[in-house]
Amino acid sequence: MGAVRRLQEVGVPFFSWLCGVLLLGSVIAVIGYLFVHGWRSIGLSLIFGTTPPLDALLMKRHVFNGLFPAVAGTLSLIVLSVCWAIPIGMASGIYLAEYAGPGTKAFLNLFFDILAGLPSIVVGLFGFSATVFLNRLFPGSIHPCLLISSIALAFLVLPYIIRTTQMALEGLPLSARMTALSLGASKLQNIVHVLLPQSLSGIVSGVILAIGRCAEDTAVIMLTGVVASAGVPRSLFSHYEALPFYIFYISSQYTDREELATGYGAAIILLCICLVLFLLAFVVKRQVSYHALYRA
Amino acid sequence: MENAVKIRTENLCFSYNGRTILRNASIDFAEREISAIVGPSGSGKSTLLMTLNRLWETIPRCTLRGRVEMKVDGRYYDIYEKSYPVTRLRRQVGMVFQIPNPLPMSIYKNVAFPLQLKGGLAKETVSARVEECLRKARLWDEVHYRLHSTALDLSGGQQQRLCIARALILRPEVLLLDEPTSALDHATARAIEELLLELKQSCTILLVSHYLDQVTRIADTIIELHNGTLVRRGGRT
Repeated sequence: MGAVRRLQEVGVPFFSWLCGVLLLGSVIAVIGYLFVHGWRSIGLSLIFGTTPPLDALLMKRHVFNGLFPAVAGTLSLIVLSVCWAIPIGMASGIYLAEYAGPGTKAFLNLFFDILAGLPSIVVGLFGFSATVFLNRLFPGSIHPCLLISSIALAFLVLPYIIRTTQMALEGLPLSARMTALSLGASKLQNIVHVLLPQSLSGIVSGVILAIGRCAEDTAVIMLTGVVASAGVPRSLFSHYEALPFYIFYISSQYTDREELATGYGAAIILLCICLVLFLLAFVVKRQVSYHALYRA
Repeated sequence: MENAVKIRTENLCFSYNGRTILRNASIDFAEREISAIVGPSGSGKSTLLMTLNRLWETIPRCTLRGRVEMKVDGRYYDIYEKSYPVTRLRRQVGMVFQIPNPLPMSIYKNVAFPLQLKGGLAKETVSARVEECLRKARLWDEVHYRLHSTALDLSGGQQQRLCIARALILRPEVLLLDEPTSALDHATARAIEELLLELKQSCTILLVSHYLDQVTRIADTIIELHNGTLVRRGGRT
């Protein structure tokens, strides 16, 4: 018995450590593989082609042989989707954690779990069907576009934000909940001034998951507005290009190794965009926390 | 001459998750006195405090029967009446918990927080009230140079005095204290006792304490609970 317990005491931490190391190794291997195959193609010409970067950034000239339109499309798509999803997701999470009765909560939890498990192609198909329906309702004015894609993607990532907001709020100890109430705070004041600022870390985790999912998803955008060469999106109702679709397109259609290398380069750029947006989410969290908790 | 009754409970029954905590507790608490509530662990002392500011309502699966009346402006009000706003009640009845619970904010913001929630006061007035309460709680000298640093870095005793300062800033008519000195060293505990003796000139104080020497030092009335029922009531002797 003693030997079995000793084995467990040593074996479980070792297995946990091994899993962690394997996971870290896998991530390093994937990123390393990308860099080994893609670093040669990285450069301003990959993004701007033969167009002068300043002219492209100021929208004076179109970029025809670079990834600039796809980068702009991806950024617009992520920002728009997250902007739709954050307020709705946070409000739903707050409702579930703070206001819903046990029956309503159980029903909605089940509903959001089902929504979280929906394959993205189904959400894409829903977005496409909605576009067809809207096109019939307003003939000629609605077609697959950036707006439809961003709404469909927001729908896809909503469960992450709802769940993380709900869990972060429900995870706060009773003492944290009671403090402001005992000082005369209303329920809403308690949520806004105390509970939400203390839950920001958890909520930001959900936002980061949502950013990652919006950046990588291809199935939804293929059915709702992305095209291979649309240029920089000029409005919410225009077609657009996106990096994940470019990577998919190049990896399935490439004709030589150089073209494939631009696909790897696009993947590195996509990773960098995600990294910048994650850092931005952390900075916003720090600023909001500081403003809410420490500013006099 | 005996002071008038500030709070009166009538046949108060409280249960949590089907377990009865208070049984027909009918207790009067005199105005501008320190009433100490004593009794063994699990006798319902902390629960009794939470029925007086309705804080138990934040805990799921609790039920309460009976009546609690509080004297405000010469009239007795049933604090469980729908017309009596719970936020108003909790501003009149301050509470300090056994374990210090500063919010993860600056020292200044912690103390000013109740006033900011209430609103309607100028910044200068708020600052003056913060200083006044920190001085009353014997904390000003230790924190005045770092008011805008986090309250979570204070020691346990300092945090408890901060919580007392925070409870005082709304100038409550009643102060509920749930073993406020249990986390404090002897000297700080004595300083808090002196503060309570000063405060009772303007405030009704209900103190839950396990320290009989403390109770006999400062309490005007001692209320003993056992198994959720009042078993004895008397003076400090």
